[in-house]
Amino acid sequence: MSDAAQVVLAPPPRAGVAGRRLTRVLEIVVALAVVVGLWQVTSITINNSTLLPSPARVFHAWLDLLHADLRQDVLASLAHLGIGYALGIATGLALAAISTRFALLESIVDPLIELLRPISAIAWIPIAILMFGISAGVPVFLIFYASLFPIFVNTVAGVKQVDAKLVHAAQMLGASRRMILTHVVMPAALPYVLAGARLSLGVAWMAMVAAELTGSDAGLGWRLFWYQEFFAMDKVMAVILTIGVLGYCFDTLLRALQARITRWSPDSVVDEAR
Amino acid sequence: MNARRALLPLGFFTVAILAWQAAVLHSGQRALYPYPTGVFEAATRTIEDGSLFAATSQSLLRVLIGFALGAAFGIPLGVLMGFVRPVGRAVSPIVDSLRSIAPIAWIPMALLWLGIRGNAALFIVAYAAFFPFVVNAAQGARLIDRNLVNAARALGAGRALVVRSVVLPNALPAILTGARISMAFAWGSIIAAELAMGIKVTSGGSGAVGLGQLMVSTLYVRRDVNGLVLYMIVIGVISFLIDLAMRRLQRSLTPWRT
Repeated sequence: MSDAAQVVLAPPPRAGVAGRRLTRVLEIVVALAVVVGLWQVTSITINNSTLLPSPARVFHAWLDLLHADLRQDVLASLAHLGIGYALGIATGLALAAISTRFALLESIVDPLIELLRPISAIAWIPIAILMFGISAGVPVFLIFYASLFPIFVNTVAGVKQVDAKLVHAAQMLGASRRMILTHVVMPAALPYVLAGARLSLGVAWMAMVAAELTGSDAGLGWRLFWYQEFFAMDKVMAVILTIGVLGYCFDTLLRALQARITRWSPDSVVDEAR
Repeated sequence: MNARRALLPLGFFTVAILAWQAAVLHSGQRALYPYPTGVFEAATRTIEDGSLFAATSQSLLRVLIGFALGAAFGIPLGVLMGFVRPVGRAVSPIVDSLRSIAPIAWIPMALLWLGIRGNAALFIVAYAAFFPFVVNAAQGARLIDRNLVNAARALGAGRALVVRSVVLPNALPAILTGARISMAFAWGSIIAAELAMGIKVTSGGSGAVGLGQLMVSTLYVRRDVNGLVLYMIVIGVISFLIDLAMRRLQRSLTPWRT
């Protein structure tokens, strides 16, 4: 059973009327205002800036950090993410390519993946610390490991669902192996690959935060405990929110990319609700 | 052909495991690298002294409580969001922005609010379990055939009855999908939370030690590589069993959906 089997069809996008768009924006603004308002009221009631810093305090802390450590931490995290994710995607695609091409290798790669997949990236943290010490190696390895599986599973599922009739038709019309691969198989599998890439990034982001918290000497996750040492909870909250905003931006970006690249495909919304 | 298909991976893995064992024994550095019989010894030792079962059941207990909390808050909110469109539109940006925060990032705040006795980990797990429930329940409730709802209304059903006998049964498959994802996510998060807590606070023999804390003490105090590999295998086996159980549950509760 692959994760890609969970296909959820999103409702068709509504017509982009300007008025409707305005209401959407208003709704988001109102929602944010309600959250910040609730947070403000709670922090006033608790009246303890360490236990629950007020939104204004956190915003000021965030502005302070922006000119100090935050840029450095974001860059360190992005470097971990970039290297680990690129390695994970490349390895996942390569494994998927050889296991769909050679049945013999599939019988080895497939059980290996199925054995390792239940062992979450998090479970590797202690071993990773042993292997790399407290360093950038731990988050990079964890991001690599976490992003490997969704892209592999989805790519294999994507290649397997290619309509055999299309392949046969292309063969009958005299297409070469390479042509079938580039003109039939790859376009048909692309929506699955992109969905896999997005799922991979989601789990990679979570693995990154956990790895930096426990086994790194740089990055956003590491900063959380750093500020906690000083009980600077306003700064901790600022970092938490930064993690959320960045994660949200990445997901939105990949979602838009996915929709744009595979606009032609009814499968462009292949996804597993997280 | 079929026999060869089965024999090849079996042979490959047997040879790989034997080679692994031989390589470590020959290198003469048994303390540095894990090896199969060492892992087996670690398993018999931790099972005999009961530490493995104690830690695993602690972690599982927290996962179950967190999962129940996530379901108790997530399902009603999700159904409300999916069934009442204005609520869905208003709340979903909030849910989306909170969902983007990796649950484990809350650990410093959770430690401050709830203490190191295990409740901080519980908060992380409940936070992790909450969102898949919300998203999937909302999806399930949104995609309900409005004709069914209107028919029930026309036949005189009140709001409560519509929700109970039309909305919930129709959203059940999606909710169960949410439950499966939620459970997997919760199990990953408990280990992360316990690892972070174990590294941050040395829990001096307190009773609330889970698998994650056990891993930290195995890493830093006992320096037992075989033990670490054993715990990884245990984590993997449990998440495999959890997934299997959730799929079974899904099939038996919603047999009409293959």
